[in-house]
Amino acid sequence: MYTLLIIQLAVSGALMGMVYALIAYGFQLTFATSKSINFGQGELVMLSALFSLTLIDRGLPYWLVVPGGMLFGVVLGLFVERAGVRLALEQKSEGWILLTIILGLLGFSAAENIWGRDDRPFPTPISSDPLHFFGIDVTPLELSVAIGVVAVMGLVELFKRKTLLGKAFEAVSADRDAAQLMGISATRTIQLSYGLSGLVAAIAGILVAPITTVGPTMASVLILKAFSVAVVAGLDSGFGVVLIGLFLGALESLTSFYLGSGWREAPGLVLLILALAVRPNGVFGKASIRKV
Amino acid sequence: MWKRLLLIRGAELAALALLGAIPLMVDNSYVLGLLTLLAIYGILLIGLDVAVGYLGQVNLAQAAFLGLGAYAAGLSVAHFDFNMLAALAMALGVGLLFGTLLAFPALRLEGPQFALATLSFSALSATTLNEWEGLTLGAQGLQVTRPPILGMTLDAPGFFWLCLLLLALVWMAMRNLLSSQWGRAFEALRDSPIATDAMGVGTYRHKVAGFALASGLGGLAGGLYAFNFQYLQPQSFGWDLMVILLLGVVLGGRKSLWGALVGASLIALLPNLLSNRELFQAISAIGLLVALAAGARGLLKKTTRPFQAIAPVVAMGILVVGSFIVENTEDWRKAIFALMLFAVVVGLPEGLMGFAAHFLAKLFRVAPPPLPAPASLDTVLPRRTADGGALLELRGLERYFGGVKAVDGISLTVRAGEVHGLIGPNGSGKSTAVNVISGLYTPTGGSMLLRGKALPEGSLFKVARTGLARTFQNLQLFGELSALDNVMVALKDVYRSPLPLVLLGLAMGEETRARAAALALLDLVGLKEQARSHAKDLTYGDQRFLEIARALARKPELLILDEPAAGLAHPDVNKLLEIIKRIHERGISIILIEHHMDVISELCEVVTVLDGGRIIAAGTAEQVKRDPKVIQAYLGMADNAAGAEAPAQAG
Repeated sequence: MYTLLIIQLAVSGALMGMVYALIAYGFQLTFATSKSINFGQGELVMLSALFSLTLIDRGLPYWLVVPGGMLFGVVLGLFVERAGVRLALEQKSEGWILLTIILGLLGFSAAENIWGRDDRPFPTPISSDPLHFFGIDVTPLELSVAIGVVAVMGLVELFKRKTLLGKAFEAVSADRDAAQLMGISATRTIQLSYGLSGLVAAIAGILVAPITTVGPTMASVLILKAFSVAVVAGLDSGFGVVLIGLFLGALESLTSFYLGSGWREAPGLVLLILALAVRPNGVFGKASIRKV
Repeated sequence: MWKRLLLIRGAELAALALLGAIPLMVDNSYVLGLLTLLAIYGILLIGLDVAVGYLGQVNLAQAAFLGLGAYAAGLSVAHFDFNMLAALAMALGVGLLFGTLLAFPALRLEGPQFALATLSFSALSATTLNEWEGLTLGAQGLQVTRPPILGMTLDAPGFFWLCLLLLALVWMAMRNLLSSQWGRAFEALRDSPIATDAMGVGTYRHKVAGFALASGLGGLAGGLYAFNFQYLQPQSFGWDLMVILLLGVVLGGRKSLWGALVGASLIALLPNLLSNRELFQAISAIGLLVALAAGARGLLKKTTRPFQAIAPVVAMGILVVGSFIVENTEDWRKAIFALMLFAVVVGLPEGLMGFAAHFLAKLFRVAPPPLPAPASLDTVLPRRTADGGALLELRGLERYFGGVKAVDGISLTVRAGEVHGLIGPNGSGKSTAVNVISGLYTPTGGSMLLRGKALPEGSLFKVARTGLARTFQNLQLFGELSALDNVMVALKDVYRSPLPLVLLGLAMGEETRARAAALALLDLVGLKEQARSHAKDLTYGDQRFLEIARALARKPELLILDEPAAGLAHPDVNKLLEIIKRIHERGISIILIEHHMDVISELCEVVTVLDGGRIIAAGTAEQVKRDPKVIQAYLGMADNAAGAEAPAQAG
């Protein structure tokens, strides 16, 4: 019985870890093209979820709410790129770290005042009655999260590999200067990556909202773990984030069982600092050669 | 000279006296509370500025260090009955300790990873303070009693004066430190970590030291914070405070003690500004006007991009509109901070003090401090007697990148006193060879000997300490430092004063000697007149010469010049020839990597030719020019003539 309980905890945690992986994947998209990430990504997740909730409250059907939320995420992503990232990249400075933090704070404050500080439930057509697999309970809701995450990442990867625009994306990721010499606009491609990253954040928000409830603080812990997953796996690790996401999700679920729920965040944070100490480029990342 | 000293020191003293005298004139506990907070934030922000301004790293952990210091001080009083000084020392120590522990792993990283590491550390420290209830009482909060100092119990003004005294001490110590070799090293590693190591300064150790120092000051401020409020809660040291602290540093102005003080005053007053509606409206209106004026000025002078001019105006415009329509400004506190920060970061990156400094310097016509007379070159760069013995020996040196054999078994000997040319077509392995010798890359195989002793492998820093110095093909200057400081930071055998003396300002003698020595080297390359210019503002040719002067500051036995003539105009090439001859006359051996065949012919006694990572010819310049293998490598045979490069062309 005890072993079963442990496995149950690990499985539920791991499924939740898929959400971290998806948000971390959003970091990878922008890091690939511009070597920058949005420190306010959590606010994108949260704002998209709140916006979707408003659409539901207005009586829109679920199949319209999802694209509406996704579009909102894209718009936010593009805004972050324009207001917070482009200037800093043009000046080759790291000002984008501070600027994206600032934009995130602005989004957080706006959410507090527009939607209120309370957490609200997010209705979903998907059932949360558990299914049983070999004595382990999994809800269709949790499964929908896992399937959604894999589907989104798969589709984006397909887009990158099969479409012309996607190939431009890959070209800029590989070598920005060379791509520009070939007539690919790096600025547009970076814009595209921020749009995609916003899209991915919105999907993460909509997927996770029925489980976590929706409110301004819904993403503040999610995002810390997504950072951990991204850094531990490596910011250029591709699907490595999924493995690390599963692992971290399971680990923190067990930590909160053994040490108390207050320590839930600790393993991710410790892992991040350790990973940086031992493998700065991440477990699945590539070490780059210093050039002078 | 005296005017400068009088104005700058006078302003510092006046500010200190003014702050110190306020409690004597105004008997108001609320004002006193604000002043105390100002002094505490001052110490905290000076620390944060070391990381953000000087080291150029976004540090998101300073609020956490404040919290750790506060709890350390409070708990050491509660459990060990420490007196005030011991408890403050404890707080400082805890800050230093955790700062060092975090710095070791985190500072190997740059940019986002470092910011993320500090962010995680903050979250971890908040979790621990909250959850370790046995020690900290968690969210319930910890009562702290203010212990006596030297047997006296401090009342509110007394405690304020203690805070102010500590701020003044920290101010002086940091001013001394940041204007010494330490400060230069901090800025150097921000601009080019590779060159900092290659100049024997040690990027990593300075980074760790700087960050630990910043954290220690955070801890010290935390101790004062604990005894000021006498009640601690973990959530006081969270993300909100961190954002406010960043606002303070950025708004006040980076790389400036005055900036930290201005920033501290602003963030201490900020809550009051927000709670008073008229005041807030007035301030946002002023902000809008400043943004408009600065934006228009920037656009007219074409010094800023349109975005930099427009975005702050939009942000401040939103603030003005918001100040009239929102019901409760307190609710929008974070958005207000965000808009202000955004406008400052985009529109006024130098901060208020950076902006004011130009203006004040013009107003008072403060001359920069005079430079000493250059030292005699013989003392800076003593003549070496060239004995012709083997100086550098490479034996079967190899460096592979995956399957690419960039350097594939090179054996050569550089004799003391010679100018050894290293040539070869692009991609022949010259630069890789130099990067292996100078320690940027670890060799895949083979051995390297300098004067018969094995050369350290894979560490720029260790190689730099053996008496070998190099320049970089793609310039690696410290752009934000002056030409003089670029040379001073690399000077060998000058800085001997231990840290305590530096902090006390008792190391001025060696500073003057270093300045004189650096000027002599600048004179050697013809840059004495540009000593005060920022390296990034020099012409391209002068930047190349500055790289050479900086390498000479290592007082090298062997100097490696990596394509010094690349991209130089003809008059500058002649100047370069003169400089290299002058260096050679002093008995310094040189490895010269070059594409200009005329430069090679004029200077080099021995030339080694590389192709495909191997040596294909060696001898005098005349011999190798006629060597059929060399001609083939450069001009190619009939089947691969296209794309080859003639030796006489610039690379």
